[in-house]
Amino acid sequence: MCYAGENRFDFTEGMNVIIGDNGYGKSKLYDAFYWAMYDECYDTNEKEWKKTRLIGNSLISDKAVFESSDSLVRASVKLTFKDIAKDCQYIVERILTGQKKGQEFITDTDSVEEITYRQIAGMTGKLITSPDEVDRIKKKVLPDNIRPYMWFQGEQVESIIDFGERDSLTQAINVLSNISRFDEISEVADAWGESASDQYHRKVKSLSTDKDSSDRLEGERNKIVERITLLEKDLRQYKDNLGTAEEETDKLVNKQEEAIQIRELDVRRKGLEQQLTQTVEEEQFERVDLYQKMFSRRWVLKGSADLVKAYNGKFSAYNDIKITKRAEAKARIEAENNIIKKLQTRLPVNVPEPHNVEKMLRLERCLVCNREAEEGSEAWEAIRQLLSEPDNDLQELEKELATNHNFESDFRRLSQHGYAMEQDIHRVDADIKSALRRLNRLDKRRRSLADDVEKVNNDYANLVTESAIDGERAKRLLSELQAKNEFANRFRANLTRAEIELERKQKELEEIDAKLGDLVKGELPAWLEEKKKLLMDFRDLAQSTRERVFDKLVKQLEDEANKHYRQMMQGNLSAQGIIKLMESSKGNYMPRLVDGEGNPLMQLNTGNIILIKLSTIMAIISARQGSRDTDLYTLITDAPMSVFGEDYTIGFCKTVSSVYRQSIIMSKEFYKNETLRRQLLTDSEINLGKVYMITPSIAESERSNRNSLSTNIKALN
Amino acid sequence: MTREQILRLYLEDELLVQKGYLKEGEGVDAKWADHRNKKIVEVIKFAIEGVINGDSQTMMTRKINQFLDKD
Repeated sequence: MCYAGENRFDFTEGMNVIIGDNGYGKSKLYDAFYWAMYDECYDTNEKEWKKTRLIGNSLISDKAVFESSDSLVRASVKLTFKDIAKDCQYIVERILTGQKKGQEFITDTDSVEEITYRQIAGMTGKLITSPDEVDRIKKKVLPDNIRPYMWFQGEQVESIIDFGERDSLTQAINVLSNISRFDEISEVADAWGESASDQYHRKVKSLSTDKDSSDRLEGERNKIVERITLLEKDLRQYKDNLGTAEEETDKLVNKQEEAIQIRELDVRRKGLEQQLTQTVEEEQFERVDLYQKMFSRRWVLKGSADLVKAYNGKFSAYNDIKITKRAEAKARIEAENNIIKKLQTRLPVNVPEPHNVEKMLRLERCLVCNREAEEGSEAWEAIRQLLSEPDNDLQELEKELATNHNFESDFRRLSQHGYAMEQDIHRVDADIKSALRRLNRLDKRRRSLADDVEKVNNDYANLVTESAIDGERAKRLLSELQAKNEFANRFRANLTRAEIELERKQKELEEIDAKLGDLVKGELPAWLEEKKKLLMDFRDLAQSTRERVFDKLVKQLEDEANKHYRQMMQGNLSAQGIIKLMESSKGNYMPRLVDGEGNPLMQLNTGNIILIKLSTIMAIISARQGSRDTDLYTLITDAPMSVFGEDYTIGFCKTVSSVYRQSIIMSKEFYKNETLRRQLLTDSEINLGKVYMITPSIAESERSNRNSLSTNIKALN
Repeated sequence: MTREQILRLYLEDELLVQKGYLKEGEGVDAKWADHRNKKIVEVIKFAIEGVINGDSQTMMTRKINQFLDKD
């Protein structure tokens, strides 16, 4: 508990406001009211009220426990209710004590309740000890039947008038009207009508001229009456079933739009996620494949077309040169040989004999002409040539050419490969472009899908938060709706069949009554006929008046609810519509928002639904304005505005301050929005009581240790 | 709601005029003591009083029979 030490709030008539952000202690303050009166606190996690014995420790301040010197800690809430008319006070106090035992802190199992009655003028008071008196006083402070409409938390509004609760509005109407009196009178009228009818028929039978026929007819009559009773019972059952099915269908229909949207979003989300996964996989594959394609698709050759071309050019030139050179050499040798042959300038082979030629070469002297032939000189070369045969020159040339490694075949192969790959090389650019385009497309698609998934996820999350329906629930809801519709159709068919049969049986009964009447000897007593008519008419009258009174109350509630709804919707045009309290086939009323032609508006968000319900709750109170019920009791509500946003806050305050003589509202809206707070404090249309701002002594982020946590209270007016 | 206010609501019902028990407007602003001569009004009063007093169904039926039976 964040309240430590003594904390006091004084409330006056009008709208009292406790302002604080989330986690500042507003709900704890609301809990304090409830705990003091009913020994229970609302567990927001488990959404239920819990008795002190289940939550004892959480009621005690950590600071108080930490600072306690004598190991005993006492937590108490004291509420003082003033009855101005009677100049007296009722003080309700609840106390819980606890004790440190070693490291543990243990609270008492039960709290203690003390109620004191005090006369203000005489300053006299007495402690009320009788449990009956305590109960009477508490019911006087706040009667049980109006408590749900006076003390509630924002998140409970939906359940106060629950669309799923079959007759919650009917109960509410009963609470603040005398409609139950009319129901009781109707029951009396039914019993009297039945009794008079029996009395009448007994008399008819006793006056019969033909006892046998009378007995036979009476027997038939009894069977028909029996059947009619059974049919009426069935009819009520069918109506009840149909009503329940229709109300459940209505409740589901109200969520149908959201459920369909959620289901569609869910399907779309799953589809998109599947597509995204596929795209990511494809993209990853493409990226890996990109590297493989360097070789498999010969992308490594990218840009080598010029190289191949240049190489082929050079190889071709090399070949040309080589061929030319060979041809030239061959031609030259052949020409020389031919000339030698023609001119016979050359000596016959082996003339002089090779050993003489070798001697001449060695001596560097021609022994034929006896002239000097210095080595390397023309004469010496001429002598040397005598050693070789002229045709051998060509072979020598070939040998000479063959002595070095012949790269030609390598060069050719290279060239041939170049030619072979030329097509691939030309295709590489287009291939790479195409692959990159595809990768780019996949990338874009992946981004777009990721955006879509994010958007759908956001929409889905928002819708789920707003409607409190998740994907699975949406599916269940829709199949449930289908089932309920089928049930409703079946009950409708049963109802129609039963109605037709009932009509037939009632006709048969009238005929038998006429026949029985024909058998009567003499006249039936006039007083009996008059009694029967009077009481049957009274039965119809009781029913008609009850319906008329109830319809009037419903209309009055409807008008009041619309007045409050319009006031709260002031300046906001987002949700047009009129609240209509619609009657189901079995007579229950449910608040609905309809258009000008009376057609229900289906796509309502939670904010709209809460506003409709709050308007209806306020209507229940304001319809009885000026009566004891509404003037004596205080509206205490925690965060009633949290679900419908700041646009409606001021409208809500104006409405509350006009409907409730005193109210205590816990709100965070005025904490965050200073403009709104100024408006609250200055707007003359708001009948303002006291306004308090509460803040914690330690920021929430620093609350790992709550041993010094307390709540600061500041009065703003 | 007082028994007179409840009675008035019954007497304002059109059914009483349609069935000839009251003339148009006769039921408006009626007092508890009005229309003593009209049996239907007395029947309504019996029912209202019985319900307000918390009488049992048997007791209420006995009272109405005493009022309407001539045997």
